[in-house]
Amino acid sequence: MNSMKRLMLLACILLLASCSQNQKVKDSQLALIKTTNPSPITTERNKSTNEVEEIKKDVSSFPEIYDVAVVKGKKDVLVAYKVTHMQRFRMDAIEKNLNKMLEERYPKEKFTVSSDYKIFLEVVRLNEQMKARKLSHEKAEKRLQQLIKMTEDMT
Amino acid sequence: MASKQKNMTPKQQNYQQLQQKHELKRPVLKNCLKAFLVGGLICAIGQAVSYFYIYFFNFTEKTAGNPTVATMVFFSMLLTGFGVYDRLGQFAGAGSAVPVTGFGNAVISAAIEHRTEGFVLGVGGNMFKLAGSVILFGVFSAFVVALIKTLLAQWGVL
Repeated sequence: MNSMKRLMLLACILLLASCSQNQKVKDSQLALIKTTNPSPITTERNKSTNEVEEIKKDVSSFPEIYDVAVVKGKKDVLVAYKVTHMQRFRMDAIEKNLNKMLEERYPKEKFTVSSDYKIFLEVVRLNEQMKARKLSHEKAEKRLQQLIKMTEDMT
Repeated sequence: MASKQKNMTPKQQNYQQLQQKHELKRPVLKNCLKAFLVGGLICAIGQAVSYFYIYFFNFTEKTAGNPTVATMVFFSMLLTGFGVYDRLGQFAGAGSAVPVTGFGNAVISAAIEHRTEGFVLGVGGNMFKLAGSVILFGVFSAFVVALIKTLLAQWGVL
């Protein structure tokens, strides 16, 4: 009887697992586990992404940083990144260095940098929505401002 | 301790020796391993809860801490009520008492113990019998640390 129950349970699990086979997994669902490397985006209409790509390249050049997401708004630039595991002890120093480097190279831009996982996840989601054209540029800008505000929240 | 042994009669000392011979040795390493595993498991569940709040609600890594702690304490309170946490505590010892879930266990187990003495003087009066000291010294040490940080910030060290 007991082995029968186990068999039933196994069958159920296999059945449920097979249901999810053909569904496409979004990057944002796995952003925690894998390197997503989202393409940099800008919320402004008809604006080339050259500068944002440049920023992303510069940030990625840090050896401690391994996954970078950049969003450029009208006035602000949001940079979200992941830090390699053992370097997480030096998180503050890395953020300071990054801020310094960005301000030196792009003095005209106003940067907000964050190593917070939530910010990274939301940037990946924003990226996906913009690519799927589910979000207008105005709404994307609004969302960006919300994210910047979120980075400032302490409690 | 030495003075105590001096005051003992030879018979008592003999008994002491006999008792030491038969006393079971505490399996310290095994206990540590158990505490490590169970404590780690509780923390892993806490991490999962934290990621749950980050994924599905508007919490950042910084702000997800508060609801996570509240949820973990709530879980341990429920498990204490069902009698599961006591067994876990017996098995893991400090591994189940040191994480924040131990706090929930301390509150509810005291409440259950004094239930027969009435709601006000029994449950209400004794609920924080164990957890009261945690709150007191937690708040006090937080105050001291905040004071030191404020002073250091004032003096320009930080």
